[in-house]
Amino acid sequence: MSEPVIEIRGLRKTFRDFWLRPVAEAVNGIDLTVGRGDVFGLLGPNGSGKSTTIKMILGLLAPTSGEVKLFGLPPRAKAARARLGYLPELSYLHPFLTARETVRYYAGLSELDGRTAKARTDELLEQVGLAAVANRAVGGFSKGMARRVAFASALVSRPELLILDEPTSGLDPIGTREVKELVGRLAADGMTILVTSHQLFDMQDVCSRVAILSHGRVVGGGSVADIVAAAEDKRHALEDYFVARLKGGAA
Amino acid sequence: MRRFLSLSSSAALEALAEPLSAILFLVALLTIHLAPVFHYHQFGEAGRLARECGFSALLVFGLILATAAAVRSIGGEIASGTAAAALARPVSRPLFFCAKVAGVSAFFGVFCAAVAAATLLAVLTSETATQLADCCDDHGASRLWATGLACGLFGTLGAFVAAALSNRFARTRFCVGACLLMALGQPLALLAALPFGQDGFAATAAAVPWRILPPLSVLACGCVVFVAFAGALSVRLKPAPTAALVAAAALSSFVWPLRAVLPAIGRFWMVDSLAGGGRVPCAEIVAAVAAAVCLTAFWLVAGSLLLRGRELP
Repeated sequence: MSEPVIEIRGLRKTFRDFWLRPVAEAVNGIDLTVGRGDVFGLLGPNGSGKSTTIKMILGLLAPTSGEVKLFGLPPRAKAARARLGYLPELSYLHPFLTARETVRYYAGLSELDGRTAKARTDELLEQVGLAAVANRAVGGFSKGMARRVAFASALVSRPELLILDEPTSGLDPIGTREVKELVGRLAADGMTILVTSHQLFDMQDVCSRVAILSHGRVVGGGSVADIVAAAEDKRHALEDYFVARLKGGAA
Repeated sequence: MRRFLSLSSSAALEALAEPLSAILFLVALLTIHLAPVFHYHQFGEAGRLARECGFSALLVFGLILATAAAVRSIGGEIASGTAAAALARPVSRPLFFCAKVAGVSAFFGVFCAAVAAATLLAVLTSETATQLADCCDDHGASRLWATGLACGLFGTLGAFVAAALSNRFARTRFCVGACLLMALGQPLALLAALPFGQDGFAATAAAVPWRILPPLSVLACGCVVFVAFAGALSVRLKPAPTAALVAAAALSSFVWPLRAVLPAIGRFWMVDSLAGGGRVPCAEIVAAVAAAVCLTAFWLVAGSLLLRGRELP
């Protein structure tokens, strides 16, 4: 495997209540490695621990036990986070900022200088098809438009690692196809991408490797090419594999 | 530095964009400007009513504005997920907290500047009008009184109208425009009123009661401590309990041990020393500002530590 960008060893996360009693075991001993240039799909049903795992990778949640390393560093190290872009599951945006100001805000958080930030913002807004409405407040945007702004914000610092949590959520079929094409272009440029999604058909097209999560555990995974090669129905290979692993059977 | 500026400017803009801010700016400034209407009620001294109105508006409306802005900017962002989106970037949690408090303090500074200019105009109008009326020159008195009142009201309400027009024709943000134009309108109103004094511009300018500014600044510094305090509480608590605790703390801040970590309002309320043309001694001003700086630093550290241990699910 190529140089590891994300390394996860024995990761666990137990959510506790006010009295520190365990409420939910969201992640239950995950081991994963994402190599440079991979488009890695973290797949699983709702409540399987995908978003919790991503938040531990980002340093937003502290693991109960286990270890996460980003570029060989702890996730809260600024040097590690300076090299990643993050698209949250919901497009958390400031409603009073315009699309242009939102992308500039994230450019500022990534320490881009004024000229670079301006050029990069214009370029990204053009790329996601929002140049015409760049000066409108994002509070008035549709869910799909807000998603595009969030996507542009995630890419503003030209990250080496892009973490996409349900990138096609809220997008119409055309928007979904555009995201797939964008992910494909970014992957072709050598960017490492970690993506979660329920759209298994789309994931089959864009991912090079996948891991299937269920109840906080990895229950399957591997190279998408191998999964497709082993499947009878090539078109729905990943979907069939996913269902089989969740039911506990062989792919 | 760019990270700090991005975070603090977004916090300031968020506070200015809130409709509550425009409403409280308007109410506070109108309260001050209308004080000279009651200039026959002097409370023993010309201009005292206007002066105390200004200080009270800063304390009451300022605390409400600052607390609401701090809670929204820190607690609200944690709840909505925008804090997590920012903290997934190379932004440390202490930097995030301090920048947000700085942004809200900058917004509060705009409010303080507006209140200070409005209070100067209201006190000048009341004092001059009353003194001239005492000398049986009702015509000269009414000229500055009426002009001061008109300039103050125009500077406030005109700013509102200008913000609305700008929103209509240039699509600017109405609340941000209204707050900023009202703040800009106050010193302009003061300047516009000066030529209408009995003895001309220079004499009226010399009569502006600048001595109220240091104690007003001390009170503003005390309020900034509450910004940091509200921000620190909002890291862990929801908006309603945070607001209730800040209000309770402000009312009982003279009680030990609260007075060790929060500004006792009595200590920062120096307006009584201005009675009878008095001035607040420089040493008292410096001591109060130094205390406010130390307490703000204390709550910045406390808030940063609370945020450091906070999980952002």
